[in-house]
Amino acid sequence: MSGEGKTVSNTKNKYPWSNYTLKLGRGEPVSTTQYVLYAVQIAAVIILSYLSVVLLGPLSYSGISLFYFVYPFFLVFTMWWGIWGILGAYIGCVVGAGLMVGLGPVASGAYAISDLIPPLIAFIVYRGLLANRGIDSLWRDLTDKEVAGFKTNRVAAWVLFIAINGVIINAVSAELGVGIENYLGLIPPGAFWGWWAGWFFGDLLAMIIITPVLVKGLTNLVERQGLINRGWIT
Amino acid sequence: MAKDDVEARTSKKYVRTFIFSMKTGTPIEKLHVITKFFMIAAMSVLALYMFDISVSKGGPDIIGLIFLLIIVFALLIISGTSKYLVNSYLLLALPVPISEFIWWLFFDGGLPGAKVTFYLWPGFFPFGLSTAVLVLVFGVVYYRTRSFIIAVIPAVLLWWLTAMPGTLDFSPLTTWFKLPIGATSSFTLPYLSVTVALSKALGFAVLIYTSFLFLLTTRDTEIAGAMRQLGLSFKKSFFIALIFRSLNTLLIDYENIRMAQTARAAGVNRKSVFSKIIDLAYVSIPLVATMIRRSTEMGVALYARGFEASKKVTSFKETKGITYMDVTVIAILSAFLIYEVVLGHNINNLLIR
Repeated sequence: MSGEGKTVSNTKNKYPWSNYTLKLGRGEPVSTTQYVLYAVQIAAVIILSYLSVVLLGPLSYSGISLFYFVYPFFLVFTMWWGIWGILGAYIGCVVGAGLMVGLGPVASGAYAISDLIPPLIAFIVYRGLLANRGIDSLWRDLTDKEVAGFKTNRVAAWVLFIAINGVIINAVSAELGVGIENYLGLIPPGAFWGWWAGWFFGDLLAMIIITPVLVKGLTNLVERQGLINRGWIT
Repeated sequence: MAKDDVEARTSKKYVRTFIFSMKTGTPIEKLHVITKFFMIAAMSVLALYMFDISVSKGGPDIIGLIFLLIIVFALLIISGTSKYLVNSYLLLALPVPISEFIWWLFFDGGLPGAKVTFYLWPGFFPFGLSTAVLVLVFGVVYYRTRSFIIAVIPAVLLWWLTAMPGTLDFSPLTTWFKLPIGATSSFTLPYLSVTVALSKALGFAVLIYTSFLFLLTTRDTEIAGAMRQLGLSFKKSFFIALIFRSLNTLLIDYENIRMAQTARAAGVNRKSVFSKIIDLAYVSIPLVATMIRRSTEMGVALYARGFEASKKVTSFKETKGITYMDVTVIAILSAFLIYEVVLGHNINNLLIR
């Protein structure tokens, strides 16, 4: 307990989320519960990636789905569990939206980079930059008027959320994913922009609908159980 | 490995894999997981390379791709998983190569060479090969699914694809009787478009069925054992095993939650697509909450069993050694890779020349 008090006192308590930073972690080894949780959340992302691709019809083409509903899951998991969420996004795409739908290991490993970059950028931008400017790095300000007694700016939170995650990062993801698939000869050149639009709007729609539900329903619960990472690793 | 363990393992006729169970004692089951991974990686590289050979270098290696596809199906039969694949995945995976064929036929513009005429409608109903395809596909799919809609879609699609080429419509060998209906509607495409589209369809089939071969014949413990053999610590190997071991449990959790929602009348009212998407979003909360609860319980169980204090651990009993068969498979595939990808040879050219 004394160690925990010291950590809190050393942190600038300007915002209720100031403990969540870009440091490595709490300075203690990964507990058994965390160890299992990180593995199970990767498994969950694999399953959801697979379902995202197959639920809207027979095995979707080249692993691309018109409603890739795992996208908000791995973004939120990254905000909660740092590097483990990013790892989950990548492995989830390689196995769930790649190998399990028949893309083969080489193509899956290459195009899954498109799911590695978005959570990585989001984590750095929110925890390193926006958290110090009044935006909650756990995205509770999208749904809550107050976080731990601190009044949030919901309009700014939504504008930044859509601009960063929905438009910029999502466009980078679509460009990388469809670009790599096109380079590998999996998508015909004449259909590039059709696939690109399908990827972009599919992810955007899923993100806008599912993220607030996930955040509102679970972030406070996960935080109360002490399961949110202070930094990248723990 | 203890004698009892060896007996227990060898006495099992079937063992559980990622998405099915596998018959023990088959040549595929005896292969090391590293060999199996190398096999699907090599087949993927070959398929990706073969269907992407540029026109200036002779175009896609279609015969090479057919050869790969035959190898994959032979391996699936040897592994004893072909029946499960036909029952569960064949119909699910079949639309992918067909759609790839159509996509590449129409969206791969700018190819050089002579033009071929295709008919959206040839001006008559061709009784012949295309009709046989229609009846056969409808019959087989309807027999398997007992659904008129599911059977009619691939049947009509394949009928249309076989009725499109002018060479088939106007050859007495493939069209036996013509029933004039409506006006002719046609378009032309470079001959190479057909070659490229066919190679993409074959290549996708190779990619899909090699991936299934791996998933149908590999166990999570085999991967953990291989990681230990590669020098990874027990905790890292167990972490990987935990990921793959949780897949089935989480899929069952997801299905249970969906069924619970249905039991609470989630699907009674006819809803818009948007409402259905929101329904899907509401699955997320119980799914993630269950995931966290399960992780906490497993974490406590591992802690109680001294997981953190463990220093010396027993090895996975599923761990195998590399055999001559593994070395042979890796050598053959490496030679094939060098022949095609490194040296740039082509089975198509070898046989047709």
